[in-house]
Amino acid sequence: MTAQAIIQSLASGLLMGLLYGLIAVGLALIFGLMDVVNFAHGEFLMIAMYVSFFLFTFFAIDPLLSAPLVAAALFVLGAVVYLLVVRFAMRAKANAGMVQIFSTFGLAIVMRGLAQFFFTPDYRSIPQSWLGGKTISVAGIFLPEPQLIGALVSILAFGGLYFFIHRTDFGRALEATREDPGAVALVGIDKNRVFALGWGLGAALVGLAGAIMAVFFYIYPDVGASFALIAYVTVALGGFGSVFGAFAGGIIVGLVEAVTALVLPPSLKSVGIYAVYLLVVFIRPRGLFGSM
Amino acid sequence: MTITRRDVLLGATATAALVPLAARGQTSEVVIGVIYPFSGGSAQQGVDAQKAYETALEVINKKTDFDLPLAKGEGLPGLGGAKVRLVFADHQADPQKGRAEAERLITQEKVCAIIGTYQSAVAVTVSQICERYQVPFVSADNSSPSLHRRGLKYYFRAAPHDEMYSAAMFDFFDAMKKKGTKIETLSLFHEDTIFGTDSGKAQAKIAGERGYKILTDIKYRANSPSLSAEVQQLKSANADVLMPSSYTTDGILLVKTMAELGYKPNAIVAQDAGFSEKALYDAVGDKLEGVISRGTFSLDLAQKRPMVGKINDMFKARSGKDLNDLTSRQFMGLIILADAISRAKSTDGEKIRDALAATDIPGEQTIMPWKRVKFDEMGQNNDADPVLLQYRGGKFVTMFPPQAAIAEATWPMK
Repeated sequence: MTAQAIIQSLASGLLMGLLYGLIAVGLALIFGLMDVVNFAHGEFLMIAMYVSFFLFTFFAIDPLLSAPLVAAALFVLGAVVYLLVVRFAMRAKANAGMVQIFSTFGLAIVMRGLAQFFFTPDYRSIPQSWLGGKTISVAGIFLPEPQLIGALVSILAFGGLYFFIHRTDFGRALEATREDPGAVALVGIDKNRVFALGWGLGAALVGLAGAIMAVFFYIYPDVGASFALIAYVTVALGGFGSVFGAFAGGIIVGLVEAVTALVLPPSLKSVGIYAVYLLVVFIRPRGLFGSM
Repeated sequence: MTITRRDVLLGATATAALVPLAARGQTSEVVIGVIYPFSGGSAQQGVDAQKAYETALEVINKKTDFDLPLAKGEGLPGLGGAKVRLVFADHQADPQKGRAEAERLITQEKVCAIIGTYQSAVAVTVSQICERYQVPFVSADNSSPSLHRRGLKYYFRAAPHDEMYSAAMFDFFDAMKKKGTKIETLSLFHEDTIFGTDSGKAQAKIAGERGYKILTDIKYRANSPSLSAEVQQLKSANADVLMPSSYTTDGILLVKTMAELGYKPNAIVAQDAGFSEKALYDAVGDKLEGVISRGTFSLDLAQKRPMVGKINDMFKARSGKDLNDLTSRQFMGLIILADAISRAKSTDGEKIRDALAATDIPGEQTIMPWKRVKFDEMGQNNDADPVLLQYRGGKFVTMFPPQAAIAEATWPMK
């Protein structure tokens, strides 16, 4: 194993990790806001990839340009999902947790089925885009441009989210609703509006990730599943309720995965992720940056 | 397109419910179960397979002039012209669902035989259920060698398995070496279910016997979000030949990641699966000029046997795709199975089994480059000669073995 191979693995792991972080942040945001785990998170990612794919196929819009459009579309989807599904699931008096789990889980299955029905199960990919297949090579270390841009977008998006939550009125309303959903009504904050905004934001973030991934990943109705699983671990590792934890968790997961694949047979590379997760839960059950 | 999709999802249950019970009991209709992934990650294979089976069904149930068993007449002559009906079931690439669906097909749908399954891992459980109920199972497109070595009485496979395919690859390497090409080192890259594992084992074994050095043998996790660490290792090893055994999704990701990490091997010789799929070449075909994949089928054969081209046209009208390695085997599998049922003159499992065991179809009466179809005592057809195909200018060209070849191999691939 050469030093170059190690650096390459770490670089690939870091780029992938930033993307995992971007995917997980949306999940963490929704959970932090209203204690609901969105089991359709991977399907949001899948839809985003398809939107990006169709914008490219029919309108020749490069995924790099369409990323904001995809994020906007996903924002609407997220808000609609909240207003049409989650809002009602939250009203359940008995077994509220279960109702929420099954409603988003069911939604995931419906979305997958609809995608297969309308888009066919064929594997798609975007063949020629501005970044597709391009790579920067620094001292023998290869950094694929789509992943580099993805990492950059991920950092910017996280920065933007952080600013939004801590520096804007809407962000403060978000925080306040999260602290005490009952009390905010007294100061004139519409809880449903804030929740819908939270869902929209969470979906928009995963939408960004999907738009960028569409350049270098294959697209099919089940594509969200493997990423969603990693996102759940990432959120749990980083700490439930912490957006920053989810982002840091993503980077850790990416790096751990890369290192594990270096030292163990690659078929065992996810073992590393879960081992680290178990270790964290063992030492710090609320996750690395969890506050609850 | 929409209608067939609906067929996939609802067809199996709906048709079964609508057909009156009485009609099902009569032998005017012979029901065969078809188990494939119609949802989930490999759903496209199931959808394509359904088109292949429907094409075979048309040949069986309608009068055509092809030189294939059952093609000339209508229905099964041994059963008074009874028509074949297919019941499709979805196993979602899950061996346990495959087991349950096989049981349902046998007990509820009263199928007299089952054909399937794309994934070898699912064929394992489906064939076990068939064995228990004494219902013949035809493994149309599974390639794991371990499948037929379990001593099952009701298991049949007309197509080659991965040891035969791998042997053909090494025969090809030997022949290339004689001509002076340097082929000494190999990188194996295979996924971690029964298909990849068996394929990797077979290749490692033959490589050892014939004196090729394996520089790296990577077993990776199927459907991984990233393959960069794996490709990094392949790149460091930089063997003379890269030998992948991957399904479509991983194949696409592998080729994309190889390009991203600046790894271009001298030659790729693939164990079919993803590397025979149109979707893979649509996605990354530009990076695969000169890739070699094993196969059992080649459209080149249409030059010698015109019916291959005509059947391809029938299939293409349904699916919009050319027949490939998988769909051709699925087509042939149903013809062979229906022929046995007709010769058995019965829908009784044991009689069909005996008829299958007595099958002897000359290669010219198939759409494959095989010598013939004749099963050994394990249910394996050892006369199914594999071919090696090279991807050139957007299509596959047969270049090995010499008797089937229409062109010389381009080596190295770039």
